[in-house]
Amino acid sequence: MSFNVLIVDDSGSMRAIIKKIITISGFAMDQCFEAGNGKEAMEVLSENWIDIIVSDINMPEVNGLEFLDQLKKNETLKEIPVIMITTEGSAERMQEAFNRGAKGFIKKPFLPEDIKKILFQVIGVSENGGYSEDKTIADECDF
Amino acid sequence: MGDTVKIKQLLMNAIFEVFEKMFFVFLEPVEEDVNYDMIASINFAGPVSGNIDILLTNDLADAMVQNMLSVDEEGVTQKLIEDCVKEAVNMIGGNFLQKYDSSKVFDLSIPTFRNESAMLTNNDAEAADTTWSLPFESSEGLLGVKMSFS
Repeated sequence: MSFNVLIVDDSGSMRAIIKKIITISGFAMDQCFEAGNGKEAMEVLSENWIDIIVSDINMPEVNGLEFLDQLKKNETLKEIPVIMITTEGSAERMQEAFNRGAKGFIKKPFLPEDIKKILFQVIGVSENGGYSEDKTIADECDF
Repeated sequence: MGDTVKIKQLLMNAIFEVFEKMFFVFLEPVEEDVNYDMIASINFAGPVSGNIDILLTNDLADAMVQNMLSVDEEGVTQKLIEDCVKEAVNMIGGNFLQKYDSSKVFDLSIPTFRNESAMLTNNDAEAADTTWSLPFESSEGLLGVKMSFS
Protein backbone atom coordinates (compact mmCIF):
# COMPACT_ATOMS: atom_id res chain seq x y z
CA MET A 1 0.00 0.00 0.00
CA SER A 2 1.32 3.48 -0.85
CA PHE A 3 0.17 6.94 0.16
CA ASN A 4 -0.41 10.28 -1.55
CA VAL A 5 1.24 13.09 0.41
CA LEU A 6 0.45 16.83 0.32
CA ILE A 7 3.22 19.19 1.51
CA VAL A 8 2.02 22.71 2.41
CA ASP A 9 4.69 25.37 2.96
CA ASP A 10 5.27 28.83 1.52
CA SER A 11 8.96 28.01 1.13
CA GLY A 12 9.70 26.05 -2.04
CA SER A 13 13.05 25.02 -0.55
CA MET A 14 11.38 23.60 2.55
CA ARG A 15 8.85 21.69 0.41
CA ALA A 16 11.74 20.28 -1.62
CA ILE A 17 13.70 19.12 1.44
CA ILE A 18 10.63 17.54 3.05
CA LYS A 19 9.77 15.75 -0.19
CA LYS A 20 13.33 14.50 -0.49
CA ILE A 21 13.39 13.23 3.09
CA ILE A 22 10.08 11.39 2.63
CA THR A 23 11.32 9.88 -0.64
CA ILE A 24 14.50 8.48 0.89
CA SER A 25 12.90 7.53 4.22
CA GLY A 26 11.40 4.30 2.98
CA PHE A 27 7.88 5.65 3.52
CA ALA A 28 5.62 4.25 0.82
CA MET A 29 4.83 7.51 -0.99
CA ASP A 30 2.88 7.27 -4.21
CA GLN A 31 2.25 10.81 -5.46
CA CYS A 32 3.55 13.98 -3.79
CA PHE A 33 1.52 17.19 -4.16
CA GLU A 34 2.65 20.67 -3.08
CA ALA A 35 0.90 23.89 -2.04
CA GLY A 36 2.20 27.29 -0.92
CA ASN A 37 -0.48 27.98 1.71
CA GLY A 38 -3.77 26.68 3.09
CA LYS A 39 -5.82 28.14 0.26
CA GLU A 40 -3.77 26.40 -2.42
CA ALA A 41 -3.88 23.21 -0.35
CA MET A 42 -7.69 23.21 -0.35
CA GLU A 43 -7.59 23.50 -4.15
CA VAL A 44 -5.26 20.50 -4.38
CA LEU A 45 -7.53 18.56 -2.02
CA SER A 46 -10.59 19.33 -4.12
CA GLU A 47 -9.04 17.56 -7.11
CA ASN A 48 -6.86 14.80 -5.65
CA TRP A 49 -7.04 11.96 -3.16
CA ILE A 50 -4.61 12.72 -0.32
CA ASP A 51 -3.71 10.27 2.47
CA ILE A 52 -1.54 12.49 4.67
CA ILE A 53 -0.75 16.21 4.89
CA VAL A 54 2.47 17.83 6.12
CA SER A 55 1.89 21.53 6.76
CA ASP A 56 3.72 24.62 7.99
CA ILE A 57 1.88 27.02 10.34
CA ASN A 58 3.34 30.44 9.49
CA MET A 59 2.15 31.03 5.90
CA PRO A 60 0.58 33.96 4.02
CA GLU A 61 -3.13 34.09 3.03
CA VAL A 62 -4.44 30.99 4.85
CA ASN A 63 -2.03 29.87 7.60
CA GLY A 64 -1.66 26.36 8.98
CA LEU A 65 -4.11 26.76 11.87
CA GLU A 66 -6.78 28.27 9.60
CA PHE A 67 -6.16 25.42 7.17
CA LEU A 68 -6.82 22.91 9.99
CA ASP A 69 -10.13 24.68 10.69
CA GLN A 70 -11.16 24.41 7.04
CA LEU A 71 -10.33 20.70 7.00
CA LYS A 72 -12.28 20.10 10.20
CA LYS A 73 -15.42 21.66 8.69
CA ASN A 74 -15.25 19.40 5.62
CA GLU A 75 -16.85 15.96 6.10
CA THR A 76 -14.74 14.42 3.33
CA LEU A 77 -11.40 15.88 4.38
CA LYS A 78 -11.55 16.00 8.16
CA GLU A 79 -10.16 12.49 8.65
CA ILE A 80 -6.96 13.13 6.70
CA PRO A 81 -4.08 13.11 9.21
CA VAL A 82 -2.12 16.37 9.34
CA ILE A 83 1.43 16.77 10.65
CA MET A 84 2.45 20.34 11.46
CA ILE A 85 6.04 21.37 10.72
CA THR A 86 6.85 24.70 12.27
CA THR A 87 9.33 26.90 14.07
CA GLU A 88 6.64 27.94 16.57
CA GLY A 89 6.99 25.14 19.08
CA SER A 90 5.45 26.50 22.28
CA ALA A 91 3.37 23.98 24.25
CA GLU A 92 0.33 26.24 23.96
CA ARG A 93 0.66 26.55 20.18
CA MET A 94 1.12 22.79 19.84
CA GLN A 95 -1.97 22.13 21.95
CA GLU A 96 -3.91 24.65 19.83
CA ALA A 97 -2.92 22.73 16.69
CA PHE A 98 -3.89 19.39 18.24
CA ASN A 99 -7.24 20.84 19.34
CA ARG A 100 -7.88 21.87 15.75
CA GLY A 101 -7.16 18.37 14.50
CA ALA A 102 -3.40 18.03 13.94
CA LYS A 103 -2.11 14.52 14.57
CA GLY A 104 1.57 15.29 14.92
CA PHE A 105 4.16 18.03 15.27
CA ILE A 106 7.73 18.53 14.09
CA LYS A 107 9.80 21.51 15.13
CA LYS A 108 12.16 23.19 12.69
CA PRO A 109 15.09 22.74 12.45
CA PHE A 110 14.59 19.00 12.15
CA LEU A 111 16.62 15.95 11.32
CA PRO A 112 15.48 13.57 8.55
CA GLU A 113 14.85 10.93 11.24
CA ASP A 114 12.30 13.23 12.93
CA ILE A 115 10.11 13.38 9.80
CA LYS A 116 10.48 9.68 9.07
CA LYS A 117 9.50 8.69 12.62
CA ILE A 118 6.39 10.85 12.81
CA LEU A 119 5.16 9.88 9.33
CA PHE A 120 5.19 6.22 10.26
CA GLN A 121 3.59 6.95 13.64
CA VAL A 122 0.77 9.10 12.29
CA ILE A 123 -0.14 6.90 9.35
CA GLY A 124 -0.16 3.91 11.68
CA VAL A 125 2.33 1.85 9.72
CA SER A 126 5.54 0.60 11.28
CA GLU A 127 8.80 0.97 9.39
CA ASN A 128 8.79 -2.75 8.53
CA GLY A 129 5.36 -2.43 6.92
CA GLY A 130 3.07 -3.69 9.71
CA TYR A 131 0.28 -1.59 11.21
CA SER A 132 0.88 0.04 14.59
CA GLU A 133 -1.55 1.15 17.28
CA ASP A 134 -3.76 4.10 16.24
CA LYS A 135 -3.02 7.13 18.40
CA THR A 136 -2.06 10.76 17.95
CA ILE A 137 1.31 12.12 18.96
CA ALA A 138 -0.58 14.34 21.42
CA ASP A 139 -1.23 11.19 23.47
CA GLU A 140 2.50 10.97 24.06
CA CYS A 141 3.10 14.69 24.72
CA ASP A 142 3.28 16.10 28.21
CA PHE A 143 1.85 19.63 27.96
CA MET B 1 23.39 42.26 32.74
CA GLY B 2 22.69 38.59 33.50
CA ASP B 3 19.67 38.60 31.22
CA THR B 4 21.64 40.24 28.44
CA VAL B 5 24.29 37.52 28.56
CA LYS B 6 21.63 34.78 28.74
CA ILE B 7 19.70 36.17 25.78
CA LYS B 8 22.88 36.42 23.72
CA GLN B 9 23.74 32.79 24.54
CA LEU B 10 20.22 31.59 23.64
CA LEU B 11 20.39 33.46 20.35
CA MET B 12 23.81 31.98 19.55
CA ASN B 13 22.58 28.48 20.38
CA ALA B 14 19.57 28.96 18.07
CA ILE B 15 21.83 30.19 15.24
CA PHE B 16 24.25 27.26 15.62
CA GLU B 17 21.42 24.71 15.75
CA VAL B 18 19.69 26.03 12.62
CA PHE B 19 22.85 26.33 10.55
CA GLU B 20 24.26 22.96 11.58
CA LYS B 21 21.04 20.92 11.27
CA MET B 22 19.50 22.46 8.16
CA PHE B 23 22.45 23.86 6.20
CA PHE B 24 25.43 21.78 7.43
CA VAL B 25 27.33 25.02 8.06
CA PHE B 26 29.51 25.27 11.18
CA LEU B 27 29.91 28.82 12.42
CA GLU B 28 32.54 30.46 14.62
CA PRO B 29 32.00 33.83 16.34
CA VAL B 30 34.37 36.57 15.18
CA GLU B 31 34.94 40.20 16.13
CA GLU B 32 35.24 41.97 12.80
CA ASP B 33 32.31 43.47 10.93
CA VAL B 34 32.21 43.23 7.14
CA ASN B 35 30.04 44.21 4.22
CA TYR B 36 27.39 41.60 3.63
CA ASP B 37 25.44 41.10 0.39
CA MET B 38 21.88 40.41 1.52
CA ILE B 39 19.51 40.69 4.49
CA ALA B 40 16.51 38.68 5.66
CA SER B 41 14.36 39.95 8.52
CA ILE B 42 11.57 38.74 10.76
CA ASN B 43 9.54 40.42 13.49
CA PHE B 44 8.14 38.70 16.55
CA ALA B 45 5.45 39.75 19.01
CA GLY B 46 4.18 38.33 22.26
CA PRO B 47 5.26 38.77 25.90
CA VAL B 48 8.35 40.39 24.32
CA SER B 49 8.61 41.89 20.86
CA GLY B 50 11.48 42.48 18.53
CA ASN B 51 13.18 41.93 15.24
CA ILE B 52 15.91 39.64 13.88
CA ASP B 53 18.01 40.45 10.80
CA ILE B 54 20.44 37.99 9.28
CA LEU B 55 23.08 39.33 6.90
CA LEU B 56 25.00 37.01 4.61
CA THR B 57 27.74 37.05 2.02
CA ASN B 58 26.94 35.60 -1.40
CA ASP B 59 29.23 32.60 -0.94
CA LEU B 60 27.53 31.54 2.30
CA ALA B 61 24.04 31.86 0.77
CA ASP B 62 25.13 29.77 -2.24
CA ALA B 63 26.51 27.08 0.07
CA MET B 64 23.31 27.02 2.15
CA VAL B 65 21.22 26.31 -0.95
CA GLN B 66 23.63 23.66 -2.19
CA ASN B 67 23.83 21.92 1.18
CA MET B 68 20.13 22.06 2.00
CA LEU B 69 18.82 20.97 -1.36
CA SER B 70 21.77 18.87 -2.57
CA VAL B 71 22.11 20.86 -5.78
CA ASP B 72 25.35 21.81 -7.52
CA GLU B 73 26.57 25.35 -8.17
CA GLU B 74 24.63 25.63 -11.45
CA GLY B 75 21.42 24.68 -9.66
CA VAL B 76 21.56 27.69 -7.32
CA THR B 77 19.07 30.37 -8.39
CA GLN B 78 18.20 33.75 -6.90
CA LYS B 79 14.76 32.40 -5.98
CA LEU B 80 16.28 29.47 -4.07
CA ILE B 81 18.71 31.79 -2.26
CA GLU B 82 15.89 34.09 -1.19
CA ASP B 83 13.81 31.12 -0.08
CA CYS B 84 16.58 29.48 1.95
CA VAL B 85 17.70 32.71 3.63
CA LYS B 86 14.12 33.62 4.60
CA GLU B 87 13.64 30.12 5.98
CA ALA B 88 16.86 30.50 7.97
CA VAL B 89 15.72 33.70 9.71
CA ASN B 90 12.30 32.13 10.32
CA MET B 91 13.89 29.10 12.02
CA ILE B 92 16.33 31.21 14.04
CA GLY B 93 13.43 33.35 15.29
CA GLY B 94 11.24 30.40 16.23
CA ASN B 95 14.09 28.44 17.77
CA PHE B 96 15.28 31.41 19.84
CA LEU B 97 11.78 32.19 21.15
CA GLN B 98 11.22 28.58 22.11
CA LYS B 99 14.50 28.57 24.03
CA TYR B 100 13.63 31.93 25.61
CA ASP B 101 10.22 30.81 26.90
CA SER B 102 8.51 27.73 25.52
CA SER B 103 5.47 28.26 27.76
CA LYS B 104 4.48 31.47 25.95
CA VAL B 105 2.97 31.97 22.51
CA PHE B 106 4.79 34.32 20.11
CA ASP B 107 3.67 35.42 16.67
CA LEU B 108 6.28 35.51 13.94
CA SER B 109 5.82 37.68 10.87
CA ILE B 110 6.35 36.41 7.33
CA PRO B 111 10.11 36.86 6.67
CA THR B 112 11.30 39.51 4.20
CA PHE B 113 14.41 39.55 1.98
CA ARG B 114 16.52 42.39 0.54
CA ASN B 115 19.39 41.93 -1.87
CA GLU B 116 21.51 44.85 -0.69
CA SER B 117 24.86 45.57 0.90
CA ALA B 118 24.81 46.18 4.66
CA MET B 119 26.91 46.03 7.81
CA LEU B 120 26.08 45.00 11.36
CA THR B 121 27.58 48.08 13.01
CA ASN B 122 25.29 49.66 15.56
CA ASN B 123 26.18 53.12 16.83
CA ASP B 124 23.15 53.44 19.09
CA ALA B 125 24.77 53.18 22.55
CA GLU B 126 21.43 53.57 24.34
CA ALA B 127 20.19 50.37 22.74
CA ALA B 128 23.20 48.33 23.89
CA ASP B 129 21.14 46.29 26.39
CA THR B 130 18.36 45.50 23.94
CA THR B 131 20.28 44.97 20.71
CA TRP B 132 22.70 42.17 19.91
CA SER B 133 25.00 42.14 16.88
CA LEU B 134 26.78 38.84 16.31
CA PRO B 135 29.24 38.29 13.44
CA PHE B 136 30.26 34.73 12.48
CA GLU B 137 32.58 33.08 9.98
CA SER B 138 32.50 29.66 8.42
CA SER B 139 34.46 27.88 5.74
CA GLU B 140 31.57 28.69 3.37
CA GLY B 141 31.25 32.45 4.06
CA LEU B 142 30.23 35.11 6.56
CA LEU B 143 27.08 35.67 8.60
CA GLY B 144 25.92 38.53 10.78
CA VAL B 145 22.91 38.39 13.06
CA LYS B 146 21.29 41.40 14.67
CA MET B 147 18.43 41.19 17.15
CA SER B 148 16.53 43.98 18.88
CA PHE B 149 14.34 43.05 21.79
CA SER B 150 11.84 44.95 23.93
